[in-house]
Amino acid sequence: MQNTELLNEGLALMALGMGFVFTFLTVLVISVTLMSGAVRRFQPAPVPSAPVRRGPTGTSPKDDEVQAVISAAVHRYRRQKGRDS
Amino acid sequence: MDKIITLWEGSGLYNLQLGQAAMIVVGLVLLYLAIYKKFEPLLLVPIGFGGILANIPEAGLAISALDQAIEVGKPAVLQQIAAAFGIALDPLASAESWRVALKSVADGNASADALRAAKDVVVNVGYSDGMLYNFYKVAIGTGVAPLIIFMGVGAMTDFGPLLANPRTLFLGAAAQFGIFATLFGAVALSSMGVMDFSLNQAAAIGIIGGADGPTSIYVSSVLAPELLGAIAVAAYAYMALVPLIQPPIMRLLTSKKEREITMTQLRPVSKLEKIIFPLMLLILVALFLPDAAPLLGMFCFGNLMRECGVVERLSDTSQNALINIVTIILGLSVGSKLMAESFLSVETLGILGLGIVAFGIGTAAGVLMAKLMNLVSKMPINPLIGAAGVSAVPMAARVANKVGLEANPHNFLLMHAMGPNVAGVIGSAVAAGVMIKYLG
Repeated sequence: MQNTELLNEGLALMALGMGFVFTFLTVLVISVTLMSGAVRRFQPAPVPSAPVRRGPTGTSPKDDEVQAVISAAVHRYRRQKGRDS
Repeated sequence: MDKIITLWEGSGLYNLQLGQAAMIVVGLVLLYLAIYKKFEPLLLVPIGFGGILANIPEAGLAISALDQAIEVGKPAVLQQIAAAFGIALDPLASAESWRVALKSVADGNASADALRAAKDVVVNVGYSDGMLYNFYKVAIGTGVAPLIIFMGVGAMTDFGPLLANPRTLFLGAAAQFGIFATLFGAVALSSMGVMDFSLNQAAAIGIIGGADGPTSIYVSSVLAPELLGAIAVAAYAYMALVPLIQPPIMRLLTSKKEREITMTQLRPVSKLEKIIFPLMLLILVALFLPDAAPLLGMFCFGNLMRECGVVERLSDTSQNALINIVTIILGLSVGSKLMAESFLSVETLGILGLGIVAFGIGTAAGVLMAKLMNLVSKMPINPLIGAAGVSAVPMAARVANKVGLEANPHNFLLMHAMGPNVAGVIGSAVAAGVMIKYLG
């Protein structure tokens, strides 16, 4: 008889534990979603803009100028090097 | 001649018992697995070595001063201990039977005062607690070491993927089914009379399925310290075996088409969200489950140090130097529990068997949960990432990624799998809290 008691207790702990884990993580999902929503609303994501700025298409005129100068120099260097060898 | 006999009788070879020899071999096997097979070497090297140290005959590195004196003390010392316990030793019997009698009193019904008096006696005649015994008392007996490791894990964890896709928390929850199913399995085994586990022991065994070393050690140190050695060894060995255990289960439960599902790219997560998350988790733990507070509190603390960005030095220490120091001490302490009388038993085989079942069920539950979520949600979820819901960070996520790449070479699931992976850490800590609450 004591065996079934142990078994029942195990079953109860299983149901309770699994139920609690799910409840807790559901609450966590809800709070994370709400928190993310609030944060993104009051502080519109600064992160996505970062990779755009880092992209190869530099838009400021100064960047363009610098890029042109550098590529011209590289071009000339390569041509020179090609002639030497 | 007498001198030579004394020397011989004091040698390890003369005193070596069969069990100790077997445990030294077990220690060597653990070292082999760690060094040649690269099974969680960071833990199995100290555990294996500690196991060998704990089984050196006569040295008594892993036992208290009192046990040591009872085991090797001279008859005069035994008489003194008996006087402290307030029992009479049969003068006709041999010293060996005195030892057995004293041992049973010390382990059984001696009052705290008698134990203290006996301890004073043996300390006065020059016995002291073994080194590994002290390590164990400080590192695991107080629960400090697993908690500091958890802090370090928190400082290493990036919650970004989880915050970008919070629903993956459900996968981490589902994978904890392995823990509770194994608990039930252990209880069923003992009710059928195959093995003899109490409910506390069953719970400590089940937590192996959480695939989280520090959590397993913490729970078993609270609920079933006598099984700690076997449970820790099983937990770390199976964590190392994740790449072998999981893929067959994952393939069995998913079709090729499901494995090929590509997931939408994760949105970037702002720093503010990452700072708020550990604090929010801590508040939820405080509100709902204070028993998980030691584990999750340290975890959140470590993560906050990482994300807040103003205590770079503390975060660096807790995820490097400190976690390494504590790992050494924790490993040796676990090794001290690999003593022949407690480790060499049918129960250990049962723990090893149940542990692997726990892993399997956890993996399967995670995968099935992901399939279920796929049915009800618009956003596609590759069921493989469900398998990462058993913690084992980051091994399980890598396995999910690898199996996904086999099905579709352009499908990188690693970041998606990190979400359920860290969710699994939270889930198993919550499960640990529930068990400690219910049984502690």
